Amino acid sequence: MNRPVRDHEILSAVFAKMDVPAMSIAAGVVCSLLLFLATATLLLQAVPQDYPVGPHLRDLAVYLPGYQVSWLGAIFGAFYGFLVGAVAGFAAAVYWNLTHYVALGVMLISSAELAD
Amino acid sequence: MGNYQNMRATNQNVNGVNLKLLNAAIRFNALMLGLTAGTLAAVIIYVATHASISKWGSDSGNYLGLLAIFFPGYSVTSNGAWVGAFWAFVYAGTGSALSYRLYGRVLGTRIADILLSTVSTENPVLKPSVLRLHGISLGLAIGTIAALGLFFSTGWLVVRGTADESVHAALFSNYIPGYSVSILGGLWGAMELFALVFIACILLATVYNRIVEMRHKQS
Repeated sequence: MNRPVRDHEILSAVFAKMDVPAMSIAAGVVCSLLLFLATATLLLQAVPQDYPVGPHLRDLAVYLPGYQVSWLGAIFGAFYGFLVGAVAGFAAAVYWNLTHYVALGVMLISSAELAD
Repeated sequence: MGNYQNMRATNQNVNGVNLKLLNAAIRFNALMLGLTAGTLAAVIIYVATHASISKWGSDSGNYLGLLAIFFPGYSVTSNGAWVGAFWAFVYAGTGSALSYRLYGRVLGTRIADILLSTVSTENPVLKPSVLRLHGISLGLAIGTIAALGLFFSTGWLVVRGTADESVHAALFSNYIPGYSVSILGGLWGAMELFALVFIACILLATVYNRIVEMRHKQS
């Protein structure tokens, strides 16, 4: 661990690209679990009979058709969570790689102009 | 701290420019992450606002409209969508950039050892390696920023005198037991949120790294 870090290793770490499928799946898994647990947490709480469970979370159905605060809804939510997380992870990874390529392009052009 | 100073001394003895390069690298990636997260957040708010308008028309904005508490000038209208996008860019961009600064600070000079999945190439520019994530550092960084975010937003609700009316913010107590819209509740909520985000980050990094290992085994 205490070995000296070489310059090209630091540059490698800076310009390392994000693995797009890996980030999509990982973000999908985390979001899926979050939405499932968010629903399950409300379902496991003791509430008086005929008292509405999760009226605010239920409004997610506006954006996620079929979602509801029930055990079946929690499974639906997990599925939707995976989709939403995967799309967000995909977008984040692609955009991260893109900004690095663009920044790199700008740097290369600038250094070529300086060399001239 | 002692370990960091030792590494600092080692690097300065071996090559004086390393720490400068490392700091520049962290600043650069913080900027990149700020741009990435800021843009994504802006797009999400813009799209969500327009989705709300198209769904409910003039009745839209029940929940999204609450964002105006933190996004001055925001409303669930076409013009408000741009204002919301601007504030989302500012908040998410700043938060993410700070997170990366913290992430890089925690990683320190181990950054190359930890972040590279494959042996670093001699030409990192044209043939980049694949990034790995360090769950603990990521959790510390994002957890801290999320916790500060919750604490300051709760504090803002208290300071503006609407703590008692903030029924939606109080719903956090369903997921963060003990949280309330008060300074003490915000402090307690921040600590719990830190723990939750920390766990989520470790899960994210574990899954991500495992897939990276599988996909790049041969490299």
